[in-house]
Amino acid sequence: MNWKRFIPWADRRGGKDAPASGLVAIVGNPNVGKSVLFNNLTGRYATVSNYPGTTVEISSGLAKFGDRTMTVADTPGMYSLLSITDEERVGRRMLLAEKPVAVIHVIDAKNMERMLQLTVPLIEMGLPVVVALNMMDEAKDIGLAVDVGALREALGVEVVPSVFTAKKGMKELRRAVLAGPKVRTGRPVPYPRDVEEALGRIEALLHGRYAVSKRGMALLLLEGDAEAREMAATAEGARFAELAAVLEELRPASGRSVAYRVTMERQRFAHEVSSRVLKRVEGPSRRVSETLGRALINPWVGVPVALAVLYVGLYKFVGQFGAGTLVDLFERKLFGAFVNPHVNDFLGRALPGGGWHYWARELFGGDYGVITLALTYAVAIVLPIVLCFFLFFSILEDSGYFPRLAMTTDRAFKSVGLSGRAVIPLVLGLGCGTMATLVTRVLETKREKIIVTMLLALAIPCSAQYGVIAALLTRRDVTWLGISAAFVVWLFVILAVFLVVGFTVNRILGGERPSFYMELPPLRMPRLDNVIIKTWSRMKWYFMEVLPLFALASLIIWIGRITRLFDAAIAVLQPAVHVMGLPAKSAEAFLYGFFRRDFGAAGLYTLDGRGLLDGVQVVVACVALTMFVPCIAQFLMMKKEQGLKMSLAVAGFSVVMAFAIGAGLNVLLRATHAHL
Amino acid sequence: MTHPLGEETEELLHHLLSHEGRHKAGDCCGTGERRGSNTARLIADGYAVLAPDGTVTLTPKGEEEATLIVRRHRLAERLLVDVLDLRGPEAHDQACRFEHILRPDVEERICTLLGHPRGCPHGAPIPPGRCCREAATELRKVVGVASALEADEAGTVAYIHTDDARKMNKLLATGILPGQPIRLLRKFPSYVFQVGNTQYAVDRDIADAIYVRLSERK
Repeated sequence: MNWKRFIPWADRRGGKDAPASGLVAIVGNPNVGKSVLFNNLTGRYATVSNYPGTTVEISSGLAKFGDRTMTVADTPGMYSLLSITDEERVGRRMLLAEKPVAVIHVIDAKNMERMLQLTVPLIEMGLPVVVALNMMDEAKDIGLAVDVGALREALGVEVVPSVFTAKKGMKELRRAVLAGPKVRTGRPVPYPRDVEEALGRIEALLHGRYAVSKRGMALLLLEGDAEAREMAATAEGARFAELAAVLEELRPASGRSVAYRVTMERQRFAHEVSSRVLKRVEGPSRRVSETLGRALINPWVGVPVALAVLYVGLYKFVGQFGAGTLVDLFERKLFGAFVNPHVNDFLGRALPGGGWHYWARELFGGDYGVITLALTYAVAIVLPIVLCFFLFFSILEDSGYFPRLAMTTDRAFKSVGLSGRAVIPLVLGLGCGTMATLVTRVLETKREKIIVTMLLALAIPCSAQYGVIAALLTRRDVTWLGISAAFVVWLFVILAVFLVVGFTVNRILGGERPSFYMELPPLRMPRLDNVIIKTWSRMKWYFMEVLPLFALASLIIWIGRITRLFDAAIAVLQPAVHVMGLPAKSAEAFLYGFFRRDFGAAGLYTLDGRGLLDGVQVVVACVALTMFVPCIAQFLMMKKEQGLKMSLAVAGFSVVMAFAIGAGLNVLLRATHAHL
Repeated sequence: MTHPLGEETEELLHHLLSHEGRHKAGDCCGTGERRGSNTARLIADGYAVLAPDGTVTLTPKGEEEATLIVRRHRLAERLLVDVLDLRGPEAHDQACRFEHILRPDVEERICTLLGHPRGCPHGAPIPPGRCCREAATELRKVVGVASALEADEAGTVAYIHTDDARKMNKLLATGILPGQPIRLLRKFPSYVFQVGNTQYAVDRDIADAIYVRLSERK
């Protein structure tokens, strides 16, 4: 995941010392080590993880190759040049239009045959390709040896063996890029005669300027690629009509598509090459990770493990340890007993009077000050929780567990119109809804994207919000089977909302049924340094996003109180709060919720700390706040991905739903005399 | 079943079907007088009727027979390509001869052996027979749809059959391709295949599009 894309100030480092000369593109299948290479080259941090599809946008940075500085671009994984999902399209567009000086094709050595099928079209495009034969260590582990010289000869381009996670092969790769990879002439793969003839006819009609070879363009056109067609239409202008007529004529009336036949020829080539250069030196040894990987795809093991992971990770670690123990330490002991009294004490002595003295004191201290409210919430409540969540998430992510979770949940997800793939944005949404809304790009159909965006806004609390809510709920005394009763009720209601909304939206939206398809990477032991750096980087952007917004909220409340608009807003919210059976004071928490949901939850935490809420009220307030409007950042991301109309509809819908379900739950719990 | 038709008469029926059942008398199949007599034979046997303007139209009985002929031809192609590994024009020529000797019981056995394939090697659909509808999955198959494999059964991908171009591209792009060794690791909750050194999880829809030539059973 490249978090930096939408935190403007995070992208500015990377050195402006030398102007970049040329573009180096990193391409390859998902999960082969492209982002690790990017990090190694640029010294910048693009999140690396062990699940496919983590890079959803191109991230770029400057890198030194000898004495030259060049721009390096990390592209989302692609399986072929005939792209299917939006994320694949992004990388392809760059290759077709931007004339990179080098294209590093990263290959997983142990799956060479499959990977070479992308090398071939890259070479056919006339791109300056360097093949980075990565994961040589894993190939060796399963008993494979590679004849690199023979591979180099067969492909006609430079091949560099590497283990990027251990920084092996970096020097050789830099040297190869600096030398300027040669464009291979001639045809790596000859196609059947009729295809070659068709290609010849198309090439003869390509007169315009293209960034890639005419043969490459002709292949894409013949395979029926829509984007290539648009490019040709632009480049050819009036001459395009003739080309279009020829393409129409060449389209096979029946039988196998050209794309299929072309792929089969490439496959034959890849098979032939890889069986020549790959030698099995010893039988594969079955490792512990493989046995474990096999076990996890068994639902009898997978489902209990998933529940255990969620219980230990989210309930115990994030909920009780992070939001309970750590928050208690920071909020009550550090800020409550030490920082805030001192701040108020200092302000009281420096500005003792009424009038403007009072308002100046209130800007920083008091109940709503920048320090006593914004900074306290950000540092004492949000920070420890988010730290725990991202630590938990990074470990899971690096282990390669998520694709197995996706595989386990696919069948169940189909009933709400989603595929197992959706598990990644949804679990990530438990960290940050903004991020997750961006990551809906890994989903293939428009319909899935809408459903997930909607669920993220409505039924998935972000980590800070979840943490505070979990802390509020789990500190109540009534427990069922060792789990807080209030927590169980909250979870049940939110799950019901999740299912009902998913089911209904799925029914309303027509369109393609989602299909599920995912590579299961080998389970890997997460590397401590990677987990730490990843958690740190996520924490940093989260905090940078949260703190200014919290301070702004505090400032707006301050202005609102001076102008009495604050009281007016509270007065508007009070009837809604009243309907849910909550005390008038809790309207404040909902008002904070408009800035960020975790801010609202933190407000509730303070309220509960003062003993103003009983069990039913805590549950009702938590349910309502969970579903309440998405935060400003998430709203903007929704607008970017789904358009203004959709985001306004989702936001409006969630406010109405939050209050309606809150009110209904209150009536129900009171009527049944629930003791929570 | 009525008495068997001659080869050329069958060709003519096939031809009529592929021209949506209408045909100007005497455009193909056989030469000179025999062509005329083939058409006459069809009409006499109630497979076709002759309109006043000289066009020949298939009767429902004729269509049924013609569909069977198409089915036999395409099954024969599948058999020759998948099992006997014939390639190119040879497969087609052989299939042309082969189809005529296929009688219903043999046809059903071949269909079952092949795992009730849905399309010929060129991608054209194979009309389903009675056996396909009954789909006797108990029999040992040579080629079968991947979703019907048992866990730990292995083979090579024989072909991909799907009407959905996107699904086809996805499979093509990721390397689940004809000729690739494949092993089914799990059927539930999703299908997990090992292809080469990679494991893939796919849903039923996608597993239904992959046909596997079985090689061993563990």
